[in-house]
Amino acid sequence: MSKIKVEICMGTTCYVLGASSLLQVQEALPAELASRVEIDGASCLELCKNGQFGKAPFVRVNGETISEATIPKLVQAIRRHAAATA
Amino acid sequence: MLNGGCFVDVDFCQVSKHGQHAAGDVFLSRKLAAEDRLVCVLADGLGSGIKANVLATMTASMALKYVSADIDPQRASEIIMATLPVCSQRRIGYSTFTILDIGHGQDVRIVEYENPPYLLLNRHPVQKRELSVRTAQLGVRQLAFSEFEATIGNRLVVFSDGVSQSGMGSRDMPLGWGAGVNGFAHDLLAENGEISSRQLARRLVKRAQQNDNWKARDDISCAVISFRRPRRTMILTGPPINQERDIEMAMLLRDYQGSRVICGGTTANLVARELGRKVKLDMTAIDPEIPPTSLMDGIDLVTEGTLTLSRLATLLDQGASPEQLQANGAVKLLRLLLESDCIEFIVGTRINESHQDPNLPVELDIRRNLIKRIVRTLNEKYLKEANVKFM
Repeated sequence: MSKIKVEICMGTTCYVLGASSLLQVQEALPAELASRVEIDGASCLELCKNGQFGKAPFVRVNGETISEATIPKLVQAIRRHAAATA
Repeated sequence: MLNGGCFVDVDFCQVSKHGQHAAGDVFLSRKLAAEDRLVCVLADGLGSGIKANVLATMTASMALKYVSADIDPQRASEIIMATLPVCSQRRIGYSTFTILDIGHGQDVRIVEYENPPYLLLNRHPVQKRELSVRTAQLGVRQLAFSEFEATIGNRLVVFSDGVSQSGMGSRDMPLGWGAGVNGFAHDLLAENGEISSRQLARRLVKRAQQNDNWKARDDISCAVISFRRPRRTMILTGPPINQERDIEMAMLLRDYQGSRVICGGTTANLVARELGRKVKLDMTAIDPEIPPTSLMDGIDLVTEGTLTLSRLATLLDQGASPEQLQANGAVKLLRLLLESDCIEFIVGTRINESHQDPNLPVELDIRRNLIKRIVRTLNEKYLKEANVKFM
């Protein structure tokens, strides 16, 4: 089973809008999902520069862009990707 | 300050006498850019605490003013001694001092009045001349005057008697540290010939404090002046206004001889793209306020931009010691800058639109203004050679 890659943007805008707390997403996941994700930071995903991707903070889950990311939103996206690749 | 290829690195370290909030020793230094000259004074006021601090502050400020204005040191000393307020208990006005006047990074003139004699390392001793000064309450007093041309590698160590008399009365050094200061400074240089003025001053002060069993019995102050080749650092921050210059910016950093720093996620991505390198976030330490740093081959430090630089500006204003702070991007950057002499900022002026959003919970400074403020502080307060180039 391949890992689900979660990239959290640590750029200025994402950081002030709460990206650092998103690093705790792993703890919010049930055990079977927690072991399947690989959480990483990015120095900047370059998604905030124009409005087309929505608003910060941004996270990429297996390439899918999540805007205005929160822990519940991330858990939901991770579940979706886990189901798709199971 | 940088003069004819020789950099004069000045730093100072101090602890107050145990139980005193104010130090009775004062060290002041000023860079006279127009004359390519640096003047420093270490004054030790009679006694300790606030009263001593006032005496020492007055002495140091006057000495700095007079010497900067080219008033003869003998005359300057007379005025200082005549002006100092008289202590009600001891019936004398008193502060010992050492004045250093360094022109063009090499022409050194030193006037000493009853402070422990300065140490001159990596060089033959200099013959001192005596100057007589008439004073109202203290009769005729002798000043020691020395003059020499410094060369790269020379170091001057100036300290108060709190250093040389530390440990006095203890079993190991009944007469105080005395000549041991010289030996210890030599050992430190033998251990690391490149030790910064800052580190050398700190190590000497720490050792004197240890001699006093960590309860300093007098104010312990030490200034170190090193004559050396400049240590250079380049900091890239912000993408250029014109995207065609991205490659130029990246090459500037790649070809730089010195420490290389990038501040900003976009800038880090730009350099990584142009030079075909990888940028990897370092998740080992997460700070609640300052975003983590990243790693890139050939780059000494990669940090986030605005938040890190804002914090750096605050730390510089506060005179913070990186050794006493939890290491985040701003603290790492502060440490690197304090150990550098020449600091070049290359600032891209493209505005980051997302920082202008009024919904952001914090106000983000415009990069240009922030850097100007940092450069001014580095030059004026830290006597660095900092400059900025916009792209």
